Amino acid sequence: MHTVELPVSGSDIPLAWFLFFAAASFSIGLFGVLVRRNAIAVLMSIEIMLNAANINLIAFWRYVAPPPGEGINNGVMLALFVITIAAAEVAVGIALVLLAYRRWKAADVDRYDTLAG
Amino acid sequence: MIQSIFLLFSAIGLMAALGTVLSRNLVRAALWLVAFFFIIAVQFVLLEAEFLAAIQVLVYIGAVAILLLFGIMLTRNIQGDETTSASLNTKLIFGALGLALFAVLATAIVSHKGTPERPAWSKIQGRPDDEAGRDGVLTRKDTINNMAKTVGDEMMTRFVIPFEIAGLLLTVALVGAVALARQVGADEPIDRVRKAGFTRDDAPANGSPEGVAEAPGAVASPSH
Repeated sequence: MHTVELPVSGSDIPLAWFLFFAAASFSIGLFGVLVRRNAIAVLMSIEIMLNAANINLIAFWRYVAPPPGEGINNGVMLALFVITIAAAEVAVGIALVLLAYRRWKAADVDRYDTLAG
Repeated sequence: MIQSIFLLFSAIGLMAALGTVLSRNLVRAALWLVAFFFIIAVQFVLLEAEFLAAIQVLVYIGAVAILLLFGIMLTRNIQGDETTSASLNTKLIFGALGLALFAVLATAIVSHKGTPERPAWSKIQGRPDDEAGRDGVLTRKDTINNMAKTVGDEMMTRFVIPFEIAGLLLTVALVGAVALARQVGADEPIDRVRKAGFTRDDAPANGSPEGVAEAPGAVASPSH
């Protein structure tokens, strides 16, 4: 109960590997946001980017000591709040997409051009 | 050993992310996204945050992915971008942009210098064993071994204001989502709906794409 089981065999994962994974996921998510036209697919790509940010938060929480006087699980708390905000964002986003689909009969973001001149 | 596990799951995760952004069929994209969420949970386990991994599976796979699947099915556009597909040129340009972003981020990660108290990121080869936290009452061992308890304690003491605000935000977002997506007249008896001049389809038959939720005359009809 009071021991931290570290991975025993071999050496540990360097911090930079997690950062590289998060950076690659974030770049793929940005690519998806730019290249997809379906609004729901854009929402999915945004979720990829949010998850990549969460990986960074938890990696820094685990690998880097907190500043003196700060709580030790700040990174976990921030990741939890990010998850909360992401859930709210998806709920509102899906509702907006449904509304726009009913109005324009299309779920493609480049069809929502009523305000274009 | 642990490094090979990380590399294996990271490769699967990046493949799943690519499948999400590239697959034509939106349901397949959503299933790739579920795989990606699961890989993120695996990464949390590798980072010794099992509580967050459980939350990830519950919230993302259990709620967000299902919500996205419902959105896909309700918009009846399974084939996704088939009709208005981005051209290969656009994809190449944005792919180059994504690669450029990754290059910038990777350069930043590699060239981080650090301070006398904190080593550079590329120098951190392993995780610290144990440190005392604030006031020395909460150690890293506590947070790892009893993460649910420590997170709950922090939620009720130090983070109580953000916690309440997050709860308020969730309430507002969910009520707002229901109010937005609710079809006017959809849950009323059909004769009352007809009397009020609403159709079930939410669009008048004369082809004008006005929603019936707006007050009459409040919105100019969109041009196509």
